[in-house]
Amino acid sequence: MTLTKAIGEYETARTWFEGLRQQWGEEPSDWEERLKALAAFCAFAEKDPDTMVRECLRDSVSGKRISAKGRRFYSDKIAEWQASVPGERAAQGRAGNAVRSFLIHNGIFLQSGMQA
Amino acid sequence: MEFKQVVGRRRSIRFFEPDKPVEREKIQTILEAARLASCAVNAHWLRAIVVERDKLPKEKLDQLKTPVAALTLDLAPLHIYFFCDLGIVNRIEGSRLRELVDAGALAPTHGWSHKFVDDIVYPHILKPMTQNREGYLAAAMADCGGAAHMALLTAVDEGLGACLNTPNPALVKQVFNVPEDWVGLWVLLVGYPAESWEAGGQRPRPPFEELYFEGEYGKPFKRDPAVVEKLKAAGMIQAPAPLPGRQEEIRKLAERFGLPI
Repeated sequence: MTLTKAIGEYETARTWFEGLRQQWGEEPSDWEERLKALAAFCAFAEKDPDTMVRECLRDSVSGKRISAKGRRFYSDKIAEWQASVPGERAAQGRAGNAVRSFLIHNGIFLQSGMQA
Repeated sequence: MEFKQVVGRRRSIRFFEPDKPVEREKIQTILEAARLASCAVNAHWLRAIVVERDKLPKEKLDQLKTPVAALTLDLAPLHIYFFCDLGIVNRIEGSRLRELVDAGALAPTHGWSHKFVDDIVYPHILKPMTQNREGYLAAAMADCGGAAHMALLTAVDEGLGACLNTPNPALVKQVFNVPEDWVGLWVLLVGYPAESWEAGGQRPRPPFEELYFEGEYGKPFKRDPAVVEKLKAAGMIQAPAPLPGRQEEIRKLAERFGLPI
């Protein structure tokens, strides 16, 4: 799957950026590195960012809710991708956490174990 | 620690020193407090399975982890899984209530008698109550909640950090192979805090007057500023979150444990 636009142009990537800025009170200094990790994961999962977030949600009578199935899929997928990232464990953890952060700031509550 | 300070210092601690175990004496103290909680009809619905994380087989720990509760289970060295034993009332058939009459806790001054307990309370009140699952659950759960909070506050009094989490009830039943009539409730995660005990400050709460009423609904219970000041001096009402430096503290903890930010 090829992304149809620059990774940072996707709506969910912009939401992520805004979430980070709101959380930490400043623009993320490692933004480019984070985007790079997200792009690499998108290639691995063969999904674009907006699709990933959409697949972690489901419709219900009360509106959008988190899809346990979708979240589980991406949680496992991130772990699988993280293990394939070249480098030491800490670097792999940072890469995986970048993608987790992307989902988290898009409203997908997610926890992983310690990556340190 | 003074009681008001215990209440004031309690925070849901989410960062624990993962390799610093909790002393057995402190664990017992936490459980002893839960056992002494107020309890309707002296039934004592709360059950607990104490798990030292590192003694739990890895496959069981992994089974308990979900995408929403993996980190805290990893970080907390002690897990206390709380259950509600719904079968207890029908097993004891009111016998513990009788003990309260014998002990003088329930007296004829308030209408209690052995005959009332034996002939009326169990067959005509408690037993039918257990057959209305919704109502029964509400009563039993409320009692379990009170006992769990006794445990929680005791953990704080022992200088520990603690946090009540909600595991998957079906999963905990399966992992710990508990009786069929137990219902999984919370897990109390316990350990020494890796974050400062302030944990960023006392958490935001809704306005007092929005929660409590006087005499009737809609008439707020008036909050006396003098009492607030007194409670501040006693350490029960503390500096509200976020305290300066909290974001930096979270960043450092994230770096230490390799967590997303």
